[in-house]
Amino acid sequence: MRRALLILVLLLAPGVLAGQSSQFGVRGLGIPGRWLSARAIASGGAFGLVDPESSVSPTSLSGLAMLTATFTGVQSFRHVENPAGAESLRESAFPQLAIAGPIKKLPLVLGVSFSNYTSRDFTLASADTILLRGALVPVSDTFSSRGGMSDLRFAGAYTIPGGWVVGGSVHVLTGSNRLVSVRAFEDISFLTAKQSSEVSFAGVGFDLGLMRNFGTSFSLAAVARSDGHAIVDRDSATVARVDLPYTFGFGVRWRPAPALDLASNVVVRTWSASNSDLLAQGGTGADNTVQVALGGVLIPDARRPNRRPIRFGVHYGTLPFFLGTGEQPTEFGVSLGTGARFAQQRAGLDLALEQVWRSAGGYKERAFQVTVGVSVRP
Amino acid sequence: MKGWLGRAAFVAAIAAGVFACQERLTSPGQCPELCPGGTPVVFDTVVSAVTGGDESVSGYVARGGGVALLTSSGLPASEDRTVYRFVSRLDSITVRDTARAYTVDSVQLALTMVARDTLVNGLKVVLYRLPADLDPDTATFASVDPQLVDASVIDTIAVPDSVNAGQISTMLRGPEADRVAIPVGTGGVLAMGLRIAADAPTGARFGSIAGGTGATFTTYVTVDVPDTATSVVHQSLSRGAQDNSFVTQTPFVAPPGTLAIGGEPSSRAFIRFALPLRIRDSANVVRATLEMLPTAPVSGLPTDPTVLRALAVLSDIGPKSPLTTDPRLVTDDTLSLGSADTLRLDITRIVQLWQQSGERPEEVALILRPEGASFTRMAVGSTNPVSPAGAPRLHITYLLSFPFENP
Repeated sequence: MRRALLILVLLLAPGVLAGQSSQFGVRGLGIPGRWLSARAIASGGAFGLVDPESSVSPTSLSGLAMLTATFTGVQSFRHVENPAGAESLRESAFPQLAIAGPIKKLPLVLGVSFSNYTSRDFTLASADTILLRGALVPVSDTFSSRGGMSDLRFAGAYTIPGGWVVGGSVHVLTGSNRLVSVRAFEDISFLTAKQSSEVSFAGVGFDLGLMRNFGTSFSLAAVARSDGHAIVDRDSATVARVDLPYTFGFGVRWRPAPALDLASNVVVRTWSASNSDLLAQGGTGADNTVQVALGGVLIPDARRPNRRPIRFGVHYGTLPFFLGTGEQPTEFGVSLGTGARFAQQRAGLDLALEQVWRSAGGYKERAFQVTVGVSVRP
Repeated sequence: MKGWLGRAAFVAAIAAGVFACQERLTSPGQCPELCPGGTPVVFDTVVSAVTGGDESVSGYVARGGGVALLTSSGLPASEDRTVYRFVSRLDSITVRDTARAYTVDSVQLALTMVARDTLVNGLKVVLYRLPADLDPDTATFASVDPQLVDASVIDTIAVPDSVNAGQISTMLRGPEADRVAIPVGTGGVLAMGLRIAADAPTGARFGSIAGGTGATFTTYVTVDVPDTATSVVHQSLSRGAQDNSFVTQTPFVAPPGTLAIGGEPSSRAFIRFALPLRIRDSANVVRATLEMLPTAPVSGLPTDPTVLRALAVLSDIGPKSPLTTDPRLVTDDTLSLGSADTLRLDITRIVQLWQQSGERPEEVALILRPEGASFTRMAVGSTNPVSPAGAPRLHITYLLSFPFENP
């Protein structure tokens, strides 16, 4: 009964899901999510392909020994700089929910996750002076967007004797963007103009994953994913079709000593597939992205690996959507974190602190992100 | 120590999650890079009234039917006299089922001054007795003014310069009361006319029956009844106005082809427009101004403001078109006396109504307030070719639908 209730709560929770924000998510489909759990973020995302609480590769589910539900929340403190000025921002986001567990008597683990595919949460403010009725009238404009695309994943991982794991997922891509444009006039005899629109997305994707465990100290993992295309509706009318990328990921995990776990991965996404569709809609286009991560976990007590591990990592990558400057945005981050298990390992809390720098030409931002992951094993 | 650090880190994490959830997402925008869809563009256009679709209709509030009555002395706007006729006063009072005669001790005549030119001092209100059979509704300036002579003066009320509005009255005692004596058997009706004088040409507005502030005529009497209490012997008979009106020396006549607004009986103007489809269907109207050209400088009583009101018309059925009672669809603007500048009324909400409801006519009604009770009267240009001033027009500032980027 408690399990059923937990599952119900987690399935209803996606209504509040939100991803991270960035000025580099203003154009195109937004800033892509990383589909990582808090503990994977703490090590730079390097364990993403082998972390069972992350949603990057289906084969990572094989690491779950019992039904596990995870909830990830991020508090971000961001400083934005661009030619129009600078501002310090803050936001809360909930980028991932997941529940997965093994099937009795079968070497099979099934899971459902709901994660942020792309995020377009932002508000932009600008000011100008225009000539109206023979007089100069100062105006201020705000353009805000809330929402993005979400990824509902149904995944399974099957362990084959000999250390092989195969997996597959079906992804239902959905979500909406609520856009509001407001123009306010300093002369109050002009009414404020507020216009809004809702853009919704729908698509289906799938992926296949493969993992090979060489004992307990070395693993290789790979994933290939196709997201097909997204049908874009604006205010209930279909207005566009945007091709979504293929994703190819390769990861390695190595435990050179009982107290040290290292990992790395490379994820390539062919966002250039959506370039022509975005340009056709008046957008600024897109290009392929590469994400490289390197990280590790220091385990103070090898007999109790979940007792205050020290996670660390770095990641570097490119972001898909141009701001119009012709320069592809890049991202670099360093991270640190730890975690703990309670109640006879049935509950867990993971913490990740991450400093991220993003830039493209005169557009820069840095963000300090606190990610908290809560896991429950009922 | 290690345990303390670990717990502190988790407490900090939870605190960050729980207490730092306030969002602040507004950052500076830089176009075109950070402007998906671009920036809003504001358009400005002028829409002329439909040719032949404007008209002026008279007769809404009859002379004397407004909330105030006019009296003036040399005022350029108009020359007016106020007339009251009171409810009949009986010749006897019934005490213990017996009609008994009475003797008049004193008489009070009270008026409500609604407005005056506060810059003109030395205002005096002169009360004249008029024939009891005078009908205020049909009286004319020519029939009333010659009767306002010294021989028929009841009294003069000197209005202190500090009094701008309120009740003023006079008490007539002893022989003075004979000026308003009503012989027994003549019907008991008193009629009264008003004239004013001041240090300079001026006007004043007095209360009316329609405004609930009509004049009162109170008689204090001693009843011829023996052996009874003081309250029975000494009584007062109070009578309000039964009819009232004012007469005008030169009734306002608008120039040919123009739209008259105000006056007496009051006139209203109806102006029809045809919004371009571009505006009607998809524009976000941020300001709509009705512009009209007066044919002459607006005249009236200084310091007594008159309001030009624009109202949405709910259904176009001619002069009896129902007008809105929704305050959001009513626009007022105080007129500047002596100005011949273009009159501008903000009717943005009314134009937005036209956009939202196809059932509402694209028509606006104009009235002067207080209707039928103001010295101000005006005429504005129309679409009629003989109009000496230009036609009404609508100045609209709007935005078209924002071109949100897909996605």
